[in-house]
Amino acid sequence: MIQVPIDIHNIIAITNGGVGVLGAAVFWFLPRLTRPDLYFAVTVPRPFRDGPEGKSILRRYRIELIVVLVLAFILFVAGIAWLGVGFTSAAPLIESAAAFIPFYRARQRVLPHAVAPTMIREAELHPVNHVIPGGWIAASGPFILLAGFAAYLWIHGMPSDGSSSGQPGGFPIRSLIVYLLSTGAILGVQTLTLYGLVHWVRPVYAGGPERAHELKFRRTVSAIVLGAEYYVTIQASWIILAPRHNGLLTVGLLPLVFVFVLVVIVLLARLGQGGSRMPTNHQRLSTTSTEPVGDRTPDRYWKLGVFYFNQDDSAVFVEKRFGLGYSLNFARPTAWLILSLILLAPLITILAHLTRFLPRAGA
Amino acid sequence: MLRIDLASRVPVYEQIANGLRAELVSGEFNPGEKLPTVRTLAIDLGVHHNTVAEAYRQLANEGWLELRRHHGAIVLERDRPEAGPDTMDRFTRPLRELIAKGLADGLSPRLLAREMIEIAQRLERKATS
Repeated sequence: MIQVPIDIHNIIAITNGGVGVLGAAVFWFLPRLTRPDLYFAVTVPRPFRDGPEGKSILRRYRIELIVVLVLAFILFVAGIAWLGVGFTSAAPLIESAAAFIPFYRARQRVLPHAVAPTMIREAELHPVNHVIPGGWIAASGPFILLAGFAAYLWIHGMPSDGSSSGQPGGFPIRSLIVYLLSTGAILGVQTLTLYGLVHWVRPVYAGGPERAHELKFRRTVSAIVLGAEYYVTIQASWIILAPRHNGLLTVGLLPLVFVFVLVVIVLLARLGQGGSRMPTNHQRLSTTSTEPVGDRTPDRYWKLGVFYFNQDDSAVFVEKRFGLGYSLNFARPTAWLILSLILLAPLITILAHLTRFLPRAGA
Repeated sequence: MLRIDLASRVPVYEQIANGLRAELVSGEFNPGEKLPTVRTLAIDLGVHHNTVAEAYRQLANEGWLELRRHHGAIVLERDRPEAGPDTMDRFTRPLRELIAKGLADGLSPRLLAREMIEIAQRLERKATS
């Protein structure tokens, strides 16, 4: 066994730090990446964003964003000094909470300029639902890989000369069970999300070039979820199998998270929310409405501008108003099922420790 | 494409039924074809699924659709029924309102009449082709 001088905790910390920097860049550019008639999650007339008032609000938002992110960074460093490198996992949470403050303040400044969005709704009666690249055959790949990995363990036995930290110490069967269960939960929620992207997303446009752009955006998001599924499976297999070969390989896949997040951000930013930044021949726009279209959800159902709660809307996924991708409609029970599954993966690990199914750290 | 206006005074389920009926009359769907499921159409339109279900029930009562549990709404072969005594009345009342709105907005009676004839002929041509 080759002893690796690199500590996995440092690798995780550096990766989380890199992702944090990318997150800061996203928050910086986000107001310009949403649909043009939505500004800080408020429906506004299309020219407002590029007008003097809109630009002034954006300037103030960015100044406040820098201040809160610096404060968040200080808190982050203090947290690591106080609680250890494990605190780096809290980085995305701290960053999002910090960025919410300037977002909310900018939203309050935009609200007096809000206008009523169109109440016209459209539906394509012969919908084309080729949303997942490679279809369900590609989507079943991660499960096949995971089954193959389990079969390999069954045939060759458990690795006994290494642990998930890349250090010697064994990988007991209970750890493997917990690890596979939480990986299964992550895969489950990702597959459910993929299904939802095909069947539960409400399109904003039912025809015209905007519809084509929207479909491209949805396919891109599906490809990202699919890519994340493959990544989770490969990493799960790698972490358990790598100690057999070389400890360095155990951490080899982790920095890929940074690359993956970078690619995701670039891909989605180029398209804009719902494909709204893709070039369109304005002569051929499908809508003739003079009212802003936005995302065809009424403003009043967006709590704090980020949580959508509309009992009269059957859609489980709607476009995020301040972000790239989709948000849940919290009035639908399916949304709570998805949320529960998201929380299930960390919950399995916490429960395993609390019930002493797994030994506590340092025990 | 089906289009509804949530701000309209016409109930949403009626707008959906009217829109679908127009598609069925013009032959956009052949007998035996399936309409989108209640849930799919409700998601696309951003309305509650009960609203779409009500519209489907109305069309089923008119003989346009057959609703099968777990199989969705299937388009039926439908013969043109004999117009009853109140058929014309039910048709004229909303038409009067619509024509009045058109005249109030500056359209001429001649233009309105021509448009109505053209729409009816277009629908009939599509249905028979």
